[in-house]
Amino acid sequence: MSYLSAKDLAVAYDDRLIVEGMNLEIEEGTVTTIIGPNGCGKSTLLKSLSRILNPRSGTVLLNGQDIHSMSTSAVARNMGMLSQQAENPDRITVEELVARGRYPHQRFLQPLSKKDHEAVEKALQLADMVSLRDNAVDELSGGQRQRAWIAMLLAQETPLMLLDEPTTYLDVAHEIEVMQLVTRLNQEEGRTIVMVLHDINQAASVSDRLIAMRDGRVIADGTPEQVVTMEVLSSLYGIHCDVYMHGHGPDVMLPRTRFCMPRSNSQCGSCLFAPASPGFQVSELKTGYGDHVISQDLTVQIPGGLVTAIIGPNACGKSTLLKTIGRLQKRGAGQILLDNSEVSKVSHRKLAQKLALLGQGSLIPDRLTVEDLVTAGCYPRQTILQRWSREDERMVEWALEKCNLLELRDMPVEMLSGGQRQRAWFAMSIVQDTPTLLLDEPTTFLDISAQIDLLDIVWQLNRDHGKTIVMVLHDLNLAARYADYIIAMKDGEVVAQGLPTKVIVPEVMLAVYGIHSSILTDENTGMPLMIPSRR
Amino acid sequence: MANLFSAIGMDETRTFRGSWFSHRINLRVMALIILCIAILILLMLYAITLGAVPLTIRQVWDATWGEGDSRTLLVVRTLRWPRIGAAVVIGAALALSGMLFQGIARNPLVSPDIIGIDAGATVVAVSWIILTRDTSGLPLVTFLGAIVTAMVIYLLSWRKGASPNRMILVGIGISSMAGAVTSFMLVKYPLEQIRPAVVWTMGSIYGSTWRDVVIPGAVILVTLPFAILLMQPLRAMSLGDNVTKSLGIPLESTRLAVIIIGCALASVAVAFAGPIGFIALMVPHMARMIAGPQSGGVLVLTGLLGGIMLLVSDTVALHFLPVSLPVGVVTSAVGAPYFLYLLYRSNSSM
Repeated sequence: MSYLSAKDLAVAYDDRLIVEGMNLEIEEGTVTTIIGPNGCGKSTLLKSLSRILNPRSGTVLLNGQDIHSMSTSAVARNMGMLSQQAENPDRITVEELVARGRYPHQRFLQPLSKKDHEAVEKALQLADMVSLRDNAVDELSGGQRQRAWIAMLLAQETPLMLLDEPTTYLDVAHEIEVMQLVTRLNQEEGRTIVMVLHDINQAASVSDRLIAMRDGRVIADGTPEQVVTMEVLSSLYGIHCDVYMHGHGPDVMLPRTRFCMPRSNSQCGSCLFAPASPGFQVSELKTGYGDHVISQDLTVQIPGGLVTAIIGPNACGKSTLLKTIGRLQKRGAGQILLDNSEVSKVSHRKLAQKLALLGQGSLIPDRLTVEDLVTAGCYPRQTILQRWSREDERMVEWALEKCNLLELRDMPVEMLSGGQRQRAWFAMSIVQDTPTLLLDEPTTFLDISAQIDLLDIVWQLNRDHGKTIVMVLHDLNLAARYADYIIAMKDGEVVAQGLPTKVIVPEVMLAVYGIHSSILTDENTGMPLMIPSRR
Repeated sequence: MANLFSAIGMDETRTFRGSWFSHRINLRVMALIILCIAILILLMLYAITLGAVPLTIRQVWDATWGEGDSRTLLVVRTLRWPRIGAAVVIGAALALSGMLFQGIARNPLVSPDIIGIDAGATVVAVSWIILTRDTSGLPLVTFLGAIVTAMVIYLLSWRKGASPNRMILVGIGISSMAGAVTSFMLVKYPLEQIRPAVVWTMGSIYGSTWRDVVIPGAVILVTLPFAILLMQPLRAMSLGDNVTKSLGIPLESTRLAVIIIGCALASVAVAFAGPIGFIALMVPHMARMIAGPQSGGVLVLTGLLGGIMLLVSDTVALHFLPVSLPVGVVTSAVGAPYFLYLLYRSNSSM
């Protein structure tokens, strides 16, 4: 008999069926990963398995018992769930947060017992959060915060763990750490794990079983070898994928871009020697928030007319560098030249005509439609008299079409999914029609095909319109493929910079992320492909 | 209205372009503005017919243009028109300032009366009435009190830039402090001395003269064009500070400009009518509900609706209740339940 099972499960939000006809059997002691495009119902399925959502029909059985007939604390002692985008309580320390994981084990009004303290201690160690135990959760970086939540789940000490995108906001090194943690929990402690992942390669590397979902239904189910095939992936995401086999470890999947873009090194090299415009020249820059210095004495050149990617671990100062050169954040000292003129000497409006910046996370006002949001990008070139020129109208239509938003144009932004919202923000930045575009993790919340769509637009903006692109990317293989120039940062300093073939090499990966890796060549583009080694 | 336009196959917006200008007009908002102007004129004429000397609309119309017997002229032109006019301009000023404050704070539950500007003005006015027993200089003194309070709130909420949330919290703090001082004044002095002050705190446009119409009206005429121009950056500001900056909007100076205009409008209203609650809070909501997100057109509509609301409240307070009440009592009586309803709604949609 299976450990966790779903029978004829259907889940709906209001009138929309998200998951239907779901039959699922999870064996004890296995790692199962659910994959699929944005909005396919993966997270919804996970939520209904953990009793966060009530199904419209069907049952969920845990050890043969209907979870809806069990008490809340009995369910919580048996399964723990890591949700996406949990809210961060104010002013509580990591240790206090982790201790909350013991709640289902505590008796009414009892303080933490010795056993509880041991569990908290062990959870902190497993998640590598011991050194941050007294820090406030709301002051941690995105990656650290994610690990704090994972630690809380570990303290719950449940035999079954449900993880909804546990690697969001984590860099390569921490992704690997979390994946290793999952393997360790499974192999050494025999815990059963069910998770949702966006990254198919990670999923394949740790899972015993993959379940591929599309439109609320399972379309493939089996071992990673059975599921990670060109046929399954292209029907799952509607995009062509290449699967690379290499000696040590599972196969690697890479989505193919709409543009085939073989590039020879000499071609790119010559661009670097004679860039179309001087780009950014940053010298002796000091960045940070208040007393907290992130970069001290940073000197870097970002060539004009090319696509540059900034890579590096969480909290290495990549986003801060981007925000500082985009003048969203004040610098401590130093000089930033854009096309030979000092950025701080330009008026706000003039700067907004020169560069657009797509940031991470923003407010969404009520009732604002997608079209309203995208139109806001016209602001820097509008005057009192020129409020809606033909150019504005043309740009907005073009951006809506490019970003596949035409059908969503009258939808309130608050109703969109994470991936759709990200596309709307990106459309707003390209409507600004500036010669330089700064993008801070533009592919967050996007599934692989949407990531490729967006980066293909970025590529076109550079190759067809000659725009300078500077972007922070977490995915190294996408960075290698789309960028002409890569800057690798660690602890606020530039560790390596140059062509992808010069930066994506094992030595740099070890220095920047502290991981061992092997590098293949992507046959379609001639660019490097990094595969972390598992030890 | 939206259905009306789509039903007759019309686009909701129309673009006007020339060689040196281009503009997109929202026809729905325009239609609503025209409708509100018509309703406002009719309501004003109707309200003037009511009172101890009943008149017909015809008589009111003629007397307005100077025809009729001297008694009707006196009633219409010297007694009733100023009061009606004051209701409209003060209602408009309150609603406009509410819209500006809600935009700047990115919070629909903010208005000048909630963040303490009215309370600050009240302390000054009550002290002035009790201590000097003179009401002639009252509007000027109250105006200064409101402006000083707004400045104090702005300065206290400044911490590397004015944070909207901090401003609300500081404002609520200032508001309860001012309320305590007001209560102290009212308890300390004998009843006959505080009576006019108590009446003032209820908010009233009783006994308005043409001065009470002209000065607030002039303030609206001067500030409205700037406020309309500020609506576009304000709209971008609703997307967050970083987006605002990357769109090339000077954040702090725009914010300061909106606060100055909002304070001027709120202060002139409280100076001439005393603290009138809830108009500034609820009218911008009504405008957004019927006309969509903030824009120059919606701002004008907000002003018109504010005028209508205060005029209706004043007319009800004066003529349709067993006893005549100060208008502030009626707006609070209607506004408070509406406020609770809004809270309930915003809760249930979360």
